[in-house]
Amino acid sequence: MTAYNRNTLIVGLAAALAIGAIVSYFASAHPDGLEKTQEDLGAAEPVHAGLDAPPVAFDEYSLKWLGEGFWANAAAGVAGSLLVMGLLLGLGCLLRPKRPDTAANGPSPGLS
Amino acid sequence: MHIGSGFLSPPVWGTMAAASGAALAASLAIAGRRLDERKVPLMGVMGAFVFAAQMVNFPVLAGTSGHLGGGFLLGVLLGAPLGIIVMASILVVQSLVFQDGGIEALGANIFVMGVIPCLLGAAVRRLWMRPKTRLLGDVVTFVGGTVAVLAGATVVILLLAWSESLPGTVTLAHALGVMDAVHLVIGIVEGLVSVAVIRFVLAARREAAFGAASLGVGEGVR
Repeated sequence: MTAYNRNTLIVGLAAALAIGAIVSYFASAHPDGLEKTQEDLGAAEPVHAGLDAPPVAFDEYSLKWLGEGFWANAAAGVAGSLLVMGLLLGLGCLLRPKRPDTAANGPSPGLS
Repeated sequence: MHIGSGFLSPPVWGTMAAASGAALAASLAIAGRRLDERKVPLMGVMGAFVFAAQMVNFPVLAGTSGHLGGGFLLGVLLGAPLGIIVMASILVVQSLVFQDGGIEALGANIFVMGVIPCLLGAAVRRLWMRPKTRLLGDVVTFVGGTVAVLAGATVVILLLAWSESLPGTVTLAHALGVMDAVHLVIGIVEGLVSVAVIRFVLAARREAAFGAASLGVGEGVR
């Protein structure tokens, strides 16, 4: 990875973590546009059988062990941001076109 | 704008899962064929950024909040295939780990917040790949970001109506009016944030996002 790429990662990730961990704590707790619309239309209750979410350590955007406050939210923001980034960097590595000079585990073209 | 669990009927969520699944498969196939390596860090960081930004609900009208969608922005910065891949990753994490958006509604949510806005963003992308279209780029991006949110909001209401999740007394026109009025305000914020972030990336990492041609090298350098 070039220094250029590394700086992009560091600056962008720092901004994302600051927003996810700190700024989001001051977010509005009101229902979002869709939830409010569903409430106003009298359509806020589910009418179909849905699929249950898997049991996880997070209760919405709060880490369960930390209750409801700043740190529970910050843990969710940091964990979620890192999870998304990790998933995408992993996918990016899988999708990256293989160059002949770096294809270490493929058969060498000269030895077949 | 995440559709929760239990609001879509099986035929509706099945259809939307198939549509988004096809879009995602096509995106992965295109990305697999011609992925610019420099875009991988940008993808990861933008994914983290949009995830975090979506946690920040801002007040809209009385008793209502909104948050950034981010799909339009990703469509402009990364193009449609990579944008759709990033939005799908975010929405998968949100629904599986944070119970934000129903599991069965994931396809619908990827379509509404990923496929639609990413395609609209990608249509605007070309404007930013040229060295000198800043004001036009700003205006079109602002309007496009707003339209992308309104388009998504409209489709959500259509899906809810199709699923018979709206009371019989509510007309479709009324439901669309309520939904789109709120999302016009949210969309305006989306448009403004999209312009601001694109301007920032333009200043910091223009080549990684828009290619070397957008630098206009050769005009300024003598």
